Amino acid sequence: MALLYGLLWRLLLVLVHVNRAFVCWLRARTRCFKGRLWERALASLLLPVAFTDFPVEQKKNHRNPDSKAVDADSPAERQALFLNDGKSLEKLPVHIGLLLVDEEPSYTDVANLVVWCLALGISHVSVYDDNGILQKNNSVLMHEITQLQRHLLGVEGSKVEFLSNGSEKHVVSCRPVVSVLSPEDGKQSIVQAAQQLCRSVENKEKSPKDISVSMLDSLLREFRNIPDPDLVLKLGPVDSTLGFLPWHIRLTEFISLSTHRNVSYEDLLGALHRYGACQQRLGK
Amino acid sequence: MSWIKEGELNFLERIAANILKAGPMPKHVAFIMDGNRRFARKKNMDRQEGHTQGFNKLAETLRWCKHLDIQEVTVYAFSIENFKRTKDEVDGLMELARQKFLRLLDEMDNLKKHEVCIRVLGDLNMLPLDLQQIIAKAVVATKHHNKCFLNVCFAYTSRYEITNAVREMAWGVENGLIKASDISELLLSECLYSNNSPNPDLLIRTSGEVRLSDFLLWQTSHSCVVFQAVLWPEYTFWNLCEAIIQYQLNHKSIQKARDLYQEQQEFQQLEADRICVAELHQGNGKPSDSKRQQEALQQYTACRIERVQDFLQELKHKRDLFFTDLSSQVVST
Repeated sequence: MALLYGLLWRLLLVLVHVNRAFVCWLRARTRCFKGRLWERALASLLLPVAFTDFPVEQKKNHRNPDSKAVDADSPAERQALFLNDGKSLEKLPVHIGLLLVDEEPSYTDVANLVVWCLALGISHVSVYDDNGILQKNNSVLMHEITQLQRHLLGVEGSKVEFLSNGSEKHVVSCRPVVSVLSPEDGKQSIVQAAQQLCRSVENKEKSPKDISVSMLDSLLREFRNIPDPDLVLKLGPVDSTLGFLPWHIRLTEFISLSTHRNVSYEDLLGALHRYGACQQRLGK
Repeated sequence: MSWIKEGELNFLERIAANILKAGPMPKHVAFIMDGNRRFARKKNMDRQEGHTQGFNKLAETLRWCKHLDIQEVTVYAFSIENFKRTKDEVDGLMELARQKFLRLLDEMDNLKKHEVCIRVLGDLNMLPLDLQQIIAKAVVATKHHNKCFLNVCFAYTSRYEITNAVREMAWGVENGLIKASDISELLLSECLYSNNSPNPDLLIRTSGEVRLSDFLLWQTSHSCVVFQAVLWPEYTFWNLCEAIIQYQLNHKSIQKARDLYQEQQEFQQLEADRICVAELHQGNGKPSDSKRQQEALQQYTACRIERVQDFLQELKHKRDLFFTDLSSQVVST
């Protein structure tokens, strides 16, 4: 009997994978042929949305009318169109987190996302992977981002502050910021803050009763001045935060894309539109 | 209505449960039971009735979890942020909690039969005193049950919980029980309200919202997170199965990430101990050969572990005392 259930379980997983692939394919098709209501109806009738992340539309050769900003002719024109796209969104996050849960990061695709976010007017973009690969290869990523900005938005494109482990931790200017984060910036930072507070108690400078949420929060901001992310774009198939800034994500909205590889500008805009629809009640 | 719904699964549900149990199953599931008020609006009922339906759904979900061999369930019943709601609604929720916890005390025989341990996690001193006393009685009465565990987060937010853990460690330092250098991720975890539970394997949020709302942020860093659109009072067995399948699909990759993280933690702790040993021997001149260094390190580690264990015992004693004191008080009216 146990063997039978084991086999049925494996069959179930296969069916789920097939369903996922089919719904993704159907969704991708309905995006191109918006009139095909029957296809959309079919897609929504199929098994729960929970099984499918929003699929990433692979870069196509033909021009999509929505991608005006990316395909415009001059950097100045592109910059204006990007800002326009940003203004047309319901709301724009102040801080967006790009959480990579794919196996190997593709620096070009990550750089694309970062530069598009900055061009749209998002002032703080962080990138994270739980193996710390992006942080280790920080310079590669920075180079890709700078190159892409130059190409897309011209030399006059907004200069950006890069924050990573060991780099300047305090942002003085009001330039947009790109943070490259790893698990060390999460729980380990909280532990460091706790150690510092406890050393103050050891030295009789503070009492345990003085320790409050706002005190811990301020101390964490001193270590790394990162505002709470309003939105996290989870890129990849794993349904977990994998240690991303646990303290900071208390009210963060999470939107998933199936992968960061070959991600398109439309995918980013789609996710930002969905973010625009989120309403927070803040406990009330 | 009762906390514990008796009854078996129907034929189809039983088949589904058996199929799912052939794969990896979560041992601890956490729920953000969202959507009671929207449900009430949808059905044109009183808000309070929506919350009551939500509670009934909790009882039903616990029954399903029992049949799926899910031993531990944590639920987000009331956030510290919810105190911002209207006085009427907050009073209504406190009254609902009063009724339900009193009901729990009446059902003690049933709870004993099923060996259910109830824990309430949160800044309980924010609650009315009589509710604190009732909660304490329920917690103390079920303390030694160990077959299934229900953790109710009440007057809870994760940031308060983490801050409280830091405060406890500071108390330990103030009383010379531990040193500031003993503080680690592991120690902080042991000082959280949830220290008696393993981290949740699966976190489910209903009603379609896609945020964590300050719930178990530390504990769910490597959990499978599933957002479901269904409103909590409309949650079905099949919704639960869907979430479990999601967990099973993610199991391998999350487990791999967890194991890697665990390895890094152990390495970091070893490094931290090495630094402490080096600092200790700075005055005496470093022990010259590697054998002595190794011995010194082992000795330091053993001392640190013992120190930490003693501190955690004291902390446990302090917390147990809080509940036993409250539970022995006559419920104030």
